Amino acid sequence: MSGVGTNIRALTLTLAAMFLVASVGVSYWTVFASDALANDPFNPRLIALTKDRPRGAIVDRNGAVIASSDKTADGFARSYKDRSLAQVTGYASVQFGLAGIEKAYAESLIGQDAADPVSVWKARYLGERAPAGAVVLTIDEKIQKAAADALGSRRGAIVALDPRTGAILASVSVPTYDPNQVADPARAQGAMDQLNKAQDHPLLNRATQGQYPPGSTFKVVTAAAALESGFDATKKLRVDDPYQPDKSWGDYFVRSASHAHGLFDMSDGFRLSENIYFAQVGLQIGGAKLAEYAKRFGVGAAPKVELPASGGQLSESGSLDKPTLVADTAYGQGELLVSPLQMALIYAAIANNGVMPTPHYGAEVRDADGRVVRQIAPGPGGQVISPNTAHALTTMLVGAVEGPGAFAFGGKVPGVHVAGKTGTAENRPGEAPHGWFIGFAPAEAPTVVVAVIVENAPDGGVTAAPLGAQVMRAALGK
Amino acid sequence: MIGAQRLPVPRTRFTELSLLFWVAALAITGFVAVVAAETSSFGPAAIAVPVVFLVLMLALHLFLVARRFHGDQVLMPIAAGLTAIGLVLVQRLASDLVLQQLSWAIIAAGAFAATILIPKDLTALARFKWTWALLGLLLLVAPLMPVIGREINGARIWIKVGPASIEPWEAVKLLLVVFFAAYLEEYREVLSRSPRRIGPLPIPPVPYLVPIVAMWAIAMVVMILEKDVGATALFFGIFLAMLFLATGEAFYALIGLALLLLGGFAAYQLFGHVHVRVDTWLRPFAEDLRFDAGYQMVQGLYALANGGLLGAGLGNGMPERIPVVWSDFVFAAFAEETGLAGALALLALYLLFLYRGMQIAVRAPTTFLQLLAAGLAFIVALQTLVIVGGNARLIPLTGITLPFVAYGGSSLVTNWMLVGLLLRVSEVSNRMRGGP
Amino acid sequence: MEITFGVLLWAVRIGFLVLLYLFLIRAFAALQAALSSEEAVAARPSGIAHLVVQRSVRGAPRVGERLPLRAVNAIGRDAGNDVVLNDEAASAKHALLEFAEGEWWIEDSGSTNGTLVNGEVVRSRERVQYGDEVAIGRVALRLEQ
Repeated sequence: MSGVGTNIRALTLTLAAMFLVASVGVSYWTVFASDALANDPFNPRLIALTKDRPRGAIVDRNGAVIASSDKTADGFARSYKDRSLAQVTGYASVQFGLAGIEKAYAESLIGQDAADPVSVWKARYLGERAPAGAVVLTIDEKIQKAAADALGSRRGAIVALDPRTGAILASVSVPTYDPNQVADPARAQGAMDQLNKAQDHPLLNRATQGQYPPGSTFKVVTAAAALESGFDATKKLRVDDPYQPDKSWGDYFVRSASHAHGLFDMSDGFRLSENIYFAQVGLQIGGAKLAEYAKRFGVGAAPKVELPASGGQLSESGSLDKPTLVADTAYGQGELLVSPLQMALIYAAIANNGVMPTPHYGAEVRDADGRVVRQIAPGPGGQVISPNTAHALTTMLVGAVEGPGAFAFGGKVPGVHVAGKTGTAENRPGEAPHGWFIGFAPAEAPTVVVAVIVENAPDGGVTAAPLGAQVMRAALGK
Repeated sequence: MIGAQRLPVPRTRFTELSLLFWVAALAITGFVAVVAAETSSFGPAAIAVPVVFLVLMLALHLFLVARRFHGDQVLMPIAAGLTAIGLVLVQRLASDLVLQQLSWAIIAAGAFAATILIPKDLTALARFKWTWALLGLLLLVAPLMPVIGREINGARIWIKVGPASIEPWEAVKLLLVVFFAAYLEEYREVLSRSPRRIGPLPIPPVPYLVPIVAMWAIAMVVMILEKDVGATALFFGIFLAMLFLATGEAFYALIGLALLLLGGFAAYQLFGHVHVRVDTWLRPFAEDLRFDAGYQMVQGLYALANGGLLGAGLGNGMPERIPVVWSDFVFAAFAEETGLAGALALLALYLLFLYRGMQIAVRAPTTFLQLLAAGLAFIVALQTLVIVGGNARLIPLTGITLPFVAYGGSSLVTNWMLVGLLLRVSEVSNRMRGGP
Repeated sequence: MEITFGVLLWAVRIGFLVLLYLFLIRAFAALQAALSSEEAVAARPSGIAHLVVQRSVRGAPRVGERLPLRAVNAIGRDAGNDVVLNDEAASAKHALLEFAEGEWWIEDSGSTNGTLVNGEVVRSRERVQYGDEVAIGRVALRLEQ
């Protein structure tokens, strides 16, 4: 064989190697990167999906339509009936893609829910798309309306859920926006520019993503940690405003909201929202124990829900090392950050015998004939505290609403025992504090938990409590 | 006579016929799928075109049998299969062009038959090497001439002959390979002696150095004047490959590659059209490019992504969103509708073609024929790699088309002539050695 | 699920992919078959022709040795050749001696010192008659029946 033959073999091998590289390149785009590209909002295939076929409806738990695809001269247009649910429904836009429930249940809304593999297969290979049915949310329009009316134009959020199942009954975030504008190709660009530029971030779902210091509403966590460590809730502690355990704190003092002097037990601490009492409790049980219970209650971890949610933080470093930080955290300040949903879940655990439910916005996926394709029931989370602790806390929370001089008196609902807590959270110096109220009712067998936050409310929790009561009234049918 | 172990020439080319059967099944199935998707019914019109094509292939097969042709039986069916896939895709992507493509296929078949018949002796090709070189050069600059040259899509590579536009550089590829095969054979003996070296690096002697530099200069000129990056890459690649085949010095090829990259880099800085191509390759999704110069690339990638493993199904994807998909992006369109599975099978067919071509080259009895066959097989392989690489964003996009499959008359004709030449070389080997 | 047009179309599409792969496999098999039969032809011994050693050096086959020939014989220093000549003056792959169309042909495979038939340098492909002397390096071989 002449030398050329050898060279030919060498060249062939090189070429074969290059074919292999080409194959790898092709497989990258067809298999590995394909999901990202398929969901690119500018992909004409995706656009054809949204424009040429009606999208499924989004309805509340009783069937009231929240979002639907209406036939127009130019294909189908998405229309949203309830602006207060804007951040929940999200939008389906040709230019800007999907957000919110529209995104979370994207396949279900085009008739290809994962629970129905036949429809998925038919759509992909036969080109037959089943007409989409609907996604049923857990939202109850009655309660939602009450919450939206209650909050009005005040900046903040209200979220109400069922502590037994985690179903979210109402979710309001103000300021809101009009998703119809985003879904309309003609107006979308202008609308989005405005929304992105707005200082108060209307696209943000404050109910799940807002991060605020919890204020006094956090005291239940301190209390739970104490009770489960054997702390005696009936023991009276001396409270003198201002407070510091020893001179080592220098100029740093814990202040009481009512400049209290006297002996307090835990019920008193709740009823009168006494910071110094809880600071002492926190110092007694120690930073590690407090951090442990905060973690058990989900502080620092984002709840798993269909919409983007933030997890907040226990502290900047993640632990409570300095005594001043322990004390501050114990009564709800320090470096704590939580979302309204997280607070609702904490109280839901207390309401639900110590078991924290898993929150969800979706209830069911139905096909075009109304048949249920899939039920969404994620099941309970873990046992966060013992049922005894939960009952003890509930009793004290009822006292916090109904007891003499209770700060949370605004949360009362006639004819029902309400367990709840207000909070007035200091945030940036110079700004008015945020007002919180978290409550559940009926206290004996709770069916609804409400978390309210009003941003920069000069009266703090006192402003928030009546809003919570309004929502609970609607939920309980009163 | 001592045990003359000469095999009788087979009366039939059965392997070829049986492979053509598979091509037939493939062509008909493909057309039925595509036309049914268009018209939502299974009608007889679907098989009109493939039947004509298959009759054509059968005619070629019978022609070879009648001539008692003793050459390879696998290459022609592979080419037929690829051409069939091409027709299916043209029907799918640009159905008004399918009759044109079919006509070109008929012309290509004629050219193939002509290549089988003339010249009588292949080695005669080697004698006229300078004629081929001159002809190649003329064809190369023809598009720049005022009367017959024309510019399409920003590249000045076409000439108008009567009603048709053809790309002369397709023919230049073949002429180039023939010329180089002859030239290198002649000088190879001289140069097989140990080359002069500077340290460990071999320096090409003058007879090699001159054409290297000349080729590089011509390639650069072509790229600049005719605005065709792909042709440059191809010419230079063919030249380097044949240089390597003749000398065995990989180093020359590396030097040549370095020169090409250097020239390319300079071109990137100096010439707008090159700059755009490279930019589009590096960041097609950038805001300023994705709806403009990068639109084609982005749409191509969407198509690939939609293909997945088994494809969206023939007729079921949206490859028509890719601009000029029927010539530049057929591979992406095929991958969208037949998935990674289909794309890999297509690549495997080209690899098989390459493999067989190189085998024929190795067995050829003279150096000229070895270089000729290897060079021809290399053209097909390089073209495929360049276009697939461009579609898959491994390298910048070029104007080169996928052999046999993409829409394009001149390309189809020259590629079938290429197959004819390879078959001729294999026949020479078989006749000398009594192969199957 | 009833057999709709959609299902049939899907079947045709899958069929296309299947046929594509079957074609590929059949073509590959045909290629392998062609390759093995070509090799078989090359390896077949050609009968009773031999190369008889006329002159030799130490290490190469001795004078008088009758080396059997096949249809295609690679001659050279490398051990993979059909006729191995351990002479430094011979190249690793020196020449190719073939029987085709009733004649013996010799071709130089790019050797350093060249191949001679009856004293004449072999330029391209030369016919070798019985009785001719082939010189490879310092070894001389005569083709005999």
